[in-house]
Amino acid sequence: MPPVNGTFCVTVMKDQCINARMPGKCATCVEVCPHEVYAIDAAGNVRVQNYNACVGCRICAEFCPEDAIRINPAESEFLVRAPWTFPQVEEIHHKALTGEYELRGFGGMGMAPTFDQITVVPSQIASPAPRDKYREECNLEVVIGEGTCENPMRMHYPLFFSAMSFGAVSKEARMALSIGAAMTGIMNNTGEGGLVKDETWLIKGYENEARTLKRWEPGGYLVVQWSTGRWGVSADFVRAGDAVEVKIGQGAKPGMGGHLLGAKVTPEISAIRGVPVGSDALSPCRYYDVETLQDIKRMVGFLRDVTEYKVPILFKLGPSRPYEDVKALVEAGADAISIDGMVGGTGASPAVVTQGVGIPTVGLIPPAVRALKEMGVHHKVKLFVLGGMRNGLDAYKAMAMGADGVGFGAAAEIAMGCRACMACHTGRCAYGITSQDPELRARLDPYEAGQRLANFIKATAEEIKILTMLSGHDDIKQLTEEDVRAMDFNTAAITGLKLVGYERRLPWWENGHDHPE
Amino acid sequence: MPIVADARNPEPSPEGKETARVIDARACELRPVTTDLRAHLGEGKVTVCDAEHLHGLAAGLKTGEMTILGNAGDYLGVLNDGATICVTGNVGNYLADNMTHGTVIVDGNAGRAAAPYCYGGTVVVRGNAGDFTAVMNKGATVIIGGDVGDEVATYMLNGDLVIAGNAGKNLGNYLIRGNIYIAGNWQTLGHNTRLEELTEADIAKLRAYFDQYGVKADPVAFRKIVRLSEKPFYKAAEKAAAHGVPR
Repeated sequence: MPPVNGTFCVTVMKDQCINARMPGKCATCVEVCPHEVYAIDAAGNVRVQNYNACVGCRICAEFCPEDAIRINPAESEFLVRAPWTFPQVEEIHHKALTGEYELRGFGGMGMAPTFDQITVVPSQIASPAPRDKYREECNLEVVIGEGTCENPMRMHYPLFFSAMSFGAVSKEARMALSIGAAMTGIMNNTGEGGLVKDETWLIKGYENEARTLKRWEPGGYLVVQWSTGRWGVSADFVRAGDAVEVKIGQGAKPGMGGHLLGAKVTPEISAIRGVPVGSDALSPCRYYDVETLQDIKRMVGFLRDVTEYKVPILFKLGPSRPYEDVKALVEAGADAISIDGMVGGTGASPAVVTQGVGIPTVGLIPPAVRALKEMGVHHKVKLFVLGGMRNGLDAYKAMAMGADGVGFGAAAEIAMGCRACMACHTGRCAYGITSQDPELRARLDPYEAGQRLANFIKATAEEIKILTMLSGHDDIKQLTEEDVRAMDFNTAAITGLKLVGYERRLPWWENGHDHPE
Repeated sequence: MPIVADARNPEPSPEGKETARVIDARACELRPVTTDLRAHLGEGKVTVCDAEHLHGLAAGLKTGEMTILGNAGDYLGVLNDGATICVTGNVGNYLADNMTHGTVIVDGNAGRAAAPYCYGGTVVVRGNAGDFTAVMNKGATVIIGGDVGDEVATYMLNGDLVIAGNAGKNLGNYLIRGNIYIAGNWQTLGHNTRLEELTEADIAKLRAYFDQYGVKADPVAFRKIVRLSEKPFYKAAEKAAAHGVPR
């Protein structure tokens, strides 16, 4: 009795199938199928005799000489074939054939906990009345470095473009990010690929190097990144920014350094990074010039010294031990700390790291906020979260949980036209965003893409405004955990938010035993 | 505040030349010392003393000549972009970190990771230097008169590293470009390295280094270590080219 699985659809494309055109000439699928899905009659015609027997192994598809067979799941393979799903089987085949593990672009995909099981609490009678989004004002400003440097950054919105290096992305993409930031008054981050000179005037809204043609208001902020590879870093580079960000890690590959594969190391990239053309630029996983927290403090000290105490010093963390990591960086002297969650994206990373390493963004915020509160610096040392942030709803929830703003990396690329094909590492981006190929780069107009980025930021800011005001506030600084609720037990357990229905935090959060001694 | 000697009666520098300023950094913090350095370096040579407690001293200087009497702390000359910095004693860790131009000369020993991430300029340590010296060197000339530790010149991408003494483990690990010249012995060589014969040009270059910086060493006694492959990692570009299609 053949097995009745019933969860896969078998399609034979008749115009490609040899047997359909010449009965009796080919019956490979009949011979190889272990569950008698196919049968051949006396006249030599092959037909699907038992759809329900198909278990989705795809042996028939592999052996079909004309690639005429398609097997598609009628229900999720994770329900009926896990752990041996089609992608898992193919991955093992690839390793067996090549001896290599998979590298890919973009971020973690799949089933990490997200903000989706958190809801916003609107205001009614028992709390301050809602504000009118259409007729009243709401303050969305975030200031970084107030009281610690001469020129703090006053961002118009609690949003920014996270670090994407020149190399991982094209020059046109870097320019677009700066134009988008200039049009919205937010910060843009160079990433670890050094500086594209044009960004230094584009970020301030100027179209030209002489800074005589002001095209975009209000102007934004350029954050220069100091990282483990030090690609393109010099005193001039450090001084070129409105802030310096020390990168400890990132969400896509925490514990590893930046990856720029050789296919994308062009002569222009090579000149900046000092890596030979075509050679993989693999940043070290740690700083060779840091061994202790004392060293990090001294690093902050000399970065402030080199920049003449004029600009904020930021840090970027990968998702590891947020409570301890944030405490260490507060002690080191950070003005702001960004933590990039496990679903954060990248141009290239080993797939096992992107998919399997780190803490989901939603789980980073409570311990990070607790660390800041215990150090007495919550909302003074700013906390930003990134990694899979998509819209104003995610941003609002993160801020209600205690963050001061959110960063967009993948969402910014998607705003520029990306469709998340996860092939950034090949340099063949059809939109010219993550490619160094001049023909592909020609498809990306920095001015048009900059406008798209600004549109996305403004629409997202309006979403934040709607949610902030309907929950009874006229300033994002007023948001607290009371403005959100967890909608399931897992989310309540992870975040410490009140659970809907129960209307309280789970007992161990409520009793103050929300962290190990 | 740093105590600055009167410029009308400048004290002579160790080289016997006239010094514009002497800054006594005893019990001073970095910021005021930096302010004074930047103010006076344009006028002439500056001497700084009692500066061992300062870390990140002389950061990002573009011009000027200064001498530190005695020892210096960590991150001395970080991001140096053109100044000449001399130290009569020892220095801490991370000497001339990420330097792009200029010259740094230490009469004594250097600590861990001397001359890391440098893009250019010259670093001379007449004594010994620690582990990870010249890590990710991208084009500087680094000359060590004594021994170095382990993991030296890891992922070096260009430039010259000259070691008059011995090295520890994993010398030149994943060397990509540039040259390592060593007169003494090493415990182990790193991945992607090979030995190459000295050329006449190498010998002339080493002799010029030694003459210029007063290093007592014989160029012909050195051995030369270079890279095996410029693309020792994933080789993605080569594969893409070989198959004619992108990965």
